[in-house]
Amino acid sequence: MRKMTARWPLILALMVGVCLTAPSAPAWAADPIVLGCPLSTAFLYGWDAERGIRLAAEEINAQGGVKVGNEKRPLAVEVIDTRDLEPGVPVSEALLGVEKLLLEKKADFIVGGPVRSEAALAAMPIIAKAQKISILTSGSLTPKYSEMVGQQPDKFKYLFRISGESKWMVTGEIIPCLEEIGKKYNLDRLAIMVQDVAHARAGGAIIAKVMAGKGWKVLDPEVYPTGATDFSMGLVKAKNEKAQVLLIWMDMPETSILLKQWNDMKVPALPFGSIIAAAEQPGFWAATEGKGEFCLANVVNAGNAPSQATPWTMKFVDAYQKKYGLEPEGYGTSSSYMAVYVIKDAIERAGSLDPEKLVAAMKATDLMGVYGRIKFDPQTNQVIPSLDPNEGAVGTIFQWQAGKRVVVFPPKIATGQILLPPWMTAGEKK
Amino acid sequence: MEILIYGIVNSVSLALMALGFTLVYGVSRLPNFAHGSLYVTTGFITWLLLQRLGVPYLIAMLISLVFIAAVGAAMYNFILVRIRGMSISEIIASYAIGLAILEGLRWGGLKGTTHTLPVFASGSVDILGVVVDSHRLLVILLGAILVGLLWVFVNRTRLGLALKGMAQDERAALTLGIDSDRMAVMSMALGAIMAGLAALVLLPLGNIVVEAGYHVLIMAVAVCIVGGLGSWTGAILAAFLIGFAQIFTVAWLGPHFQVVVALLAIILTLISRPSGLFGRQKELEERV
Amino acid sequence: MEAVMATRRKERLDRGIKVRTDGIYAVSSWREIAYLVLPRLLLIGGLLLMPLLLSQAPYWQRVVSIVCIYSLLAISFDFLAHFVGLVSLGGALYIGVGAYIAALLNTHFGLPSWVTVPLSTILGGGFCTLLLWPCLPLRGVYFAIVSLMFPLLAARIIEALDIFGGTDGILGVDGFSSKWMEMYVLIALVLLILFGLRRLVNEDLGLVFRGVKDNDQAVKASGIDVITIKALGVFIASAIGCLGGAMLSHLYMWAGLSQFALDFSIIPIAATVVGGGGTLAGPVIGCLILVPISELLRDFGTLRIAVYALILCGFIVFKSEGLMVYGSRKYQQFERWVQI
Repeated sequence: MRKMTARWPLILALMVGVCLTAPSAPAWAADPIVLGCPLSTAFLYGWDAERGIRLAAEEINAQGGVKVGNEKRPLAVEVIDTRDLEPGVPVSEALLGVEKLLLEKKADFIVGGPVRSEAALAAMPIIAKAQKISILTSGSLTPKYSEMVGQQPDKFKYLFRISGESKWMVTGEIIPCLEEIGKKYNLDRLAIMVQDVAHARAGGAIIAKVMAGKGWKVLDPEVYPTGATDFSMGLVKAKNEKAQVLLIWMDMPETSILLKQWNDMKVPALPFGSIIAAAEQPGFWAATEGKGEFCLANVVNAGNAPSQATPWTMKFVDAYQKKYGLEPEGYGTSSSYMAVYVIKDAIERAGSLDPEKLVAAMKATDLMGVYGRIKFDPQTNQVIPSLDPNEGAVGTIFQWQAGKRVVVFPPKIATGQILLPPWMTAGEKK
Repeated sequence: MEILIYGIVNSVSLALMALGFTLVYGVSRLPNFAHGSLYVTTGFITWLLLQRLGVPYLIAMLISLVFIAAVGAAMYNFILVRIRGMSISEIIASYAIGLAILEGLRWGGLKGTTHTLPVFASGSVDILGVVVDSHRLLVILLGAILVGLLWVFVNRTRLGLALKGMAQDERAALTLGIDSDRMAVMSMALGAIMAGLAALVLLPLGNIVVEAGYHVLIMAVAVCIVGGLGSWTGAILAAFLIGFAQIFTVAWLGPHFQVVVALLAIILTLISRPSGLFGRQKELEERV
Repeated sequence: MEAVMATRRKERLDRGIKVRTDGIYAVSSWREIAYLVLPRLLLIGGLLLMPLLLSQAPYWQRVVSIVCIYSLLAISFDFLAHFVGLVSLGGALYIGVGAYIAALLNTHFGLPSWVTVPLSTILGGGFCTLLLWPCLPLRGVYFAIVSLMFPLLAARIIEALDIFGGTDGILGVDGFSSKWMEMYVLIALVLLILFGLRRLVNEDLGLVFRGVKDNDQAVKASGIDVITIKALGVFIASAIGCLGGAMLSHLYMWAGLSQFALDFSIIPIAATVVGGGGTLAGPVIGCLILVPISELLRDFGTLRIAVYALILCGFIVFKSEGLMVYGSRKYQQFERWVQI
């Protein structure tokens, strides 16, 4: 009982402190529309989205802002660091960040994240409860997100996703691309290396099943924990079992280790990154001293690597390069950029910020964007993908060739051909 | 065969990661939970010097080793010395320092995947049908040399013997005129250098990321506990034990059980033989 | 400097009112009663009023809930560390186990939250105790390290075996009906457990607990089984932690891998260090300070954690007694310099 006294000055100070700081929501002179962006800004899939969003908002503000009814209102971007990609940080931290955007920053829209699938899924009820339109643009690829919207369309009608979703990426892009490679170079042995997260495991399993059905010899998938730093055993296995294509699905930076090891060991298999964090960045070439050459990488949406998908694509790439000094980096860049334009478009058609009107306007979106025609599935609010930019959102698979990212798939927007590393072609000639 | 070779590579890497940690603990009974951050910092500084300032590789390495030794010594001299002997406080304080360094680095621009160091030797060698890249072979070689040097240092030099004396019996060492605090500073500096050397040898294989700091810390702790806290031979033996266990799990169970094996090893060892498999058993001190 | 030190020293004496209020005579005057009751009332009243005061700032009301969850964890850490002598660095294990049990009960069996929360408290406490049972004979730093490994292992196993929703987590857990209820339930729980434990540690059982901490051989010699006592302590502490986890999963309508995250092990310890260990109320105050600070620092991005770590380090090195101990010393004693 002795020790239980003298806490009052402390508590008093604390309460005063909390009370003073709490209602400090900033007051603006004009009345901007606030885009709240919960992103893990210390990671590629956080800052790519942040840059895309800021670029679009700047462009729109430079043109006078968004027309709501009769008045023009500027856009304000509020980014909050959710840290959800960091290991050792609970997702509740990211959820608190989302709530901070909704409750304190008075965000009118949620754009971008949360990035990690677990966080994005857990944030769904919170955003839906607040009745704010949200567009997921980076990170989370899990099909479960749009499935959940589809299952409870009334509850989750506010939630849209403008970036890719792993089911389509597999069936619509990766498998056709694999088939093309197989036909062209007569390859049919596939090794699969995936990261231990739900979307990668599921993606790897589907690819394995479908490719086996198409007459390929598929080796047992290797599952690596997030943060693995040694891939030699898997590569040795792939080499011994004469794999010819190495399918990689990992969104962790350590993938550059994998490619270095692949090059050092001269594994005669073409690395095909369905999702491969490290190889997406323009800095990848320098970081691996060119050892990542011939690696294929999927950047989900066109515009994340230079191509001529639509007239807007290069305009976006150039604007990005002018502002940030390098080409777009991660797979969430062009989608985050487009999300802002989609919101602008929807607001102007709805003529107000009323959530119900906005949902209707969002669902009616039909916009020719950076990566093709943007339309949302009426049931699941997922952007409709396609191989033709005039039909829907197109993806991009590029290959590193002589220090450049050359788009090789889909054929409609390709700027080059898929090449094999010299140690593979040498083997074939024998 | 590949299991043997890659098992050795993996084990030597683990031993390198763990040596600095066990050295510090062995001499001054200080669990240095900032070990991982020292590792990453060395890599980052070398990268800065090499890629940004264009300093030659070797000199960059030397500068960063000196720097990291100073950081380690300063950490002890200004902070940890005040809480010597309170092991839980030591763990929390050193972990907090490590956390501050790592997150500070992240804030200072260490993010993404573009921070890498060049390998010492590129290309690959074919050993009995197994292709190994030359840098990995160098890792084995350098690891062996480092362990050898450490042994010579501890058993043949005055300073090393003083450190060893401290480790064996601090009070007796004090009566022989060995300054306990000075030795602790030395051991922290040495431990930091060991962490730095491990980073310089191992990082060219991968890239420099903040997460590596946490990974190295867990692996170092795992190795040291299984081998017996403070026991150097134990640490090396344990590194081989865990290293091969991991490679075996990758080969037969699947890579996602790799970390599970390390963690299970720690828990099982602690439950059955808290002083480690090869440590001096002090039954009364550690258990009821 | 040394000369000064040699000639005088600081002397601390209990205040008169402190001595007078120690015994039954505390009821002799209003002043004495106030001396005893006021600090307690301030904490209780402050906590109870907080949601009302913050009604204009709904976001900070959420922070209050989070503060309470961390407080539960911190109380459990403090109890185990300073009264039973087991330093457990694995608070995340309790949160994760509690959250997963509550989420599973709710989504699979459709049990409402007022059933799942108590049930997962008891079941979770039992489960954690069973898990930790083989480690109970360990002392000091050995127990600390082994307990740190459990949450890491649990998360990895769920990930590797792909059970309980794998990396997607369990979704669709029921929320609470109103935010006022969730806040007040949490605050009431914190106060109840805080004062309940303070009572407990002064009972006979508390004496045995402290005996285990200070000299387990003596306890053993008195014919009391040390392991059973330790298991009881772990059960109490982990049940409190699991309660926090269950509340968290209902609060955010989700359970996932990241509930085993390191933050849940670190922040309660930091709060205990800042607030003052061995006081049980100190950790709550620590949480009341640290969690809002962490929210205020959000604008600094990743630098936030670095700042946070430095605060922690500063406290442990320069003010290791903690605010609560410091405060109560000032409240109960006066200091003066005396010449020697």
